[in-house]
Amino acid sequence: MVTGKAFESRPLETWREQLRRGALDLAILLSVSTARRRYGLDIIRHLEEFTDIVVGEGTIYPILARLTREGVLVSEWINHEGPHPRKYYRLTDKGRSDLSEMIEHWKSFAAKLGRLVAASGENVT
Amino acid sequence: MKLSESGDARIRGYLYILGRSLKSFLPREMALDALREIESHVRERLEQTDAAESEETAVARVLAELGPPLQVARAYSAEIAVEAALATGGMGAVSRALWRLASTTVAGFFATLGLFVGYVLGLGLVATSVLKPIFPENVGLFIVDGIPRSFGAQFPVPPNAQVWGGYWVVPLSLAAGLGVLVLTHRWARAYLLWWRSRTST
Repeated sequence: MVTGKAFESRPLETWREQLRRGALDLAILLSVSTARRRYGLDIIRHLEEFTDIVVGEGTIYPILARLTREGVLVSEWINHEGPHPRKYYRLTDKGRSDLSEMIEHWKSFAAKLGRLVAASGENVT
Repeated sequence: MKLSESGDARIRGYLYILGRSLKSFLPREMALDALREIESHVRERLEQTDAAESEETAVARVLAELGPPLQVARAYSAEIAVEAALATGGMGAVSRALWRLASTTVAGFFATLGLFVGYVLGLGLVATSVLKPIFPENVGLFIVDGIPRSFGAQFPVPPNAQVWGGYWVVPLSLAAGLGVLVLTHRWARAYLLWWRSRTST
């Protein structure tokens, strides 16, 4: 049986999940941009250090593959930098340009929403 | 951590299932590359395992953090199918992407079912407009005992039914059918865009 509270919390959970997943592309690109190049596990660790955005580690790799196909990232296998061969990713010129736009959009979006939250703050709490 | 034979076998089993699934929809080169990357991830995670943790627990934990192999494969599959659908916008690509999503989640199943009904309704109306000039007595609004029961084509016409509707059925059905198809297709693409914004499974 679903209790009232559990039923009410489900849309909130869905919303949190959508927010997290929606920001994942940006988070991955930001992570790659902070180093000359990064491999999958390194990206996951970096994201884990700053956020709680990674839930299933296996979901990162298909996104990296898509971003590579889209020409935002470029990848190469390097055999001698770890105990096992690693597939490293770095931003392309297009990736840097896309990321720059994404950051601007994110800042503007967050600022607008922040103003809205501030305006409604006293009434909500 | 140096793996025992059973620990290694467990990882190979995971990779085998993942590999088989990936090869079912990805080009062989891409599937092998993805598999190699996942294997590298698993082996490196295990290299950094706490010495106090048993091998069995460590392997189970690392594989669990990665997610079940079929779930990982579905994430690749859905990314590719949705990407193709959004890039081309073609009905075939959109249908394939919807099919992938329908087999991935319950919400995807019902969304796809709704969109499928839309496509069938649209195609049915277009078919009605095509059939009307060829079988004018079999296409139109079917009235039984003064009550409209159905619209479309029936072969043969039920004995107690009257067919109502002249050739105006042709442009009306065609416009309605194309309208429903265009709207359904737009909804399908909007759904895929929304799904894409959630990113993988």
